[in-house]
Amino acid sequence: MLNNFTKKFDAVLTVPLVFYVVVIVGLIISATVKITPDKVTSTFANPAIWNSALRSFTTSIISTLLVVIVAVPAGYILSRQRIKAAGFFDSIIDLPIVMPPLVIGLCILIFFSSTNVGRFLDRGLAQWLAELTGRKASSSGFFIFNVGGIIAVQFVVGCAFAIRVIKSGFDEFDHRLEDLAMTLGASPWKSFFKVSLPNTMPAIIAALVITWARVFGLFGPIQLLCGTMRFKTEILPTSIYLEYSIGNLNGALVLGVFMILTSIITIAVFKQIGGNKSKI
Amino acid sequence: MCFEIGDFSLNNFSLEVKKGTYFVLTGANGSGKTTLIKLIAGIYSPLSGGITINNVDVKKIPPWKRNIGYLPQEGLLFPNRTVKENIQFPLEVRKIPKSEVIKEINAVAEMLEISELLNRKPEGLSGGEKQKVCLARAIVSKPDVLLLDEPVSAIDEKSKYAYCQKLKSLQRRLKITTLHISHNKTETELVADEVGIMPERKGVETQLSS
Repeated sequence: MLNNFTKKFDAVLTVPLVFYVVVIVGLIISATVKITPDKVTSTFANPAIWNSALRSFTTSIISTLLVVIVAVPAGYILSRQRIKAAGFFDSIIDLPIVMPPLVIGLCILIFFSSTNVGRFLDRGLAQWLAELTGRKASSSGFFIFNVGGIIAVQFVVGCAFAIRVIKSGFDEFDHRLEDLAMTLGASPWKSFFKVSLPNTMPAIIAALVITWARVFGLFGPIQLLCGTMRFKTEILPTSIYLEYSIGNLNGALVLGVFMILTSIITIAVFKQIGGNKSKI
Repeated sequence: MCFEIGDFSLNNFSLEVKKGTYFVLTGANGSGKTTLIKLIAGIYSPLSGGITINNVDVKKIPPWKRNIGYLPQEGLLFPNRTVKENIQFPLEVRKIPKSEVIKEINAVAEMLEISELLNRKPEGLSGGEKQKVCLARAIVSKPDVLLLDEPVSAIDEKSKYAYCQKLKSLQRRLKITTLHISHNKTETELVADEVGIMPERKGVETQLSS
């Protein structure tokens, strides 16, 4: 067996892996051991925390669904390289990945506050809808200091990651099967939905989970655009920040561990759904 | 017809296959036999010239409207579908009624002796079994033209020639114009009405089989 000859080689390469795993597990354990049932009860006794958790889940799920709607076709078209500007688009997609998240938040803030299109989308559309429904127009817009802004930031940051993962899924898939499907009578649409999409589902599920986990914990750019207003724009990462800033380290710790556990459970569930072919 | 892909080109190429004929195309590796089949199937488009099927120029007709049965060299099957669902694919996309679909699948599976494979997934099949399933999928929709790219290359030596005879009798029964690529002389003699030899990167010479 080849394994007998590569034992030493494998052992050396395993050291950095073990080191990193120890760091991660150590960090999680050091945070978890500090938590007592009393601390958990007192943290979740605050209705603002429940409100924040609910907003965190709803915004991250909505933005992840929006991301999938954009990332699946985008990942496919980038993978197939049939459009002329594919290389250019590909480079642009990398920008949100390499840009500091805070800068993305700043750019979104400038867009909604200083450009005509942005102002229309933020306030103009809100006023128009208020007039249409006969309600009193809100002083704030859809995005700046509002929940729409949380979803917008999560979408912009998460989409790039999702496109990358989904594109690699389509890259791995044998595109000759799409050609074959077309010779068997399937239009490009049918070929996409009946052949390409079902065969890249593990990558799409992986993208979904990675995106959700990424946007669920997003803090900096959301705080910049939406602020940290209790019962309005507060999400779990901002709750951690608020609890920490008022000196309630225990509350911050409980929420941090709650977010870690939620992420672990989500990844485990999706791994179960994805089975052996899971890309997560 | 002329065609170019990367460093490879087919120049001033012409080939005529009479309706209902079993035509075998042989030639050296890299001479463009598979490329030619992909051109006819519509996977590639010629730079100039045309492709006529039943007196209709199909150059501007997309592959899914050409009514062609294509069996690729590698025995490609859709990995997420069972054998039955693979064979069902051409009927499914043509929205054939379910009762008819079941009847057609069973008939073609019986004809190619693959009925016992119907509920299996492609990953557990041998190369030869995959090629038989590919053939079933290619003929189930009763195409005008059948394109077979080395359809017996993965069949074991023992049953290869019996399978060739089956291919021939199948073509006779279904009366499908067939273009078959082969490197094997015995295989060619067993199935061919006509044989074409494709010289490397030049036009094709056609000759009647003996």
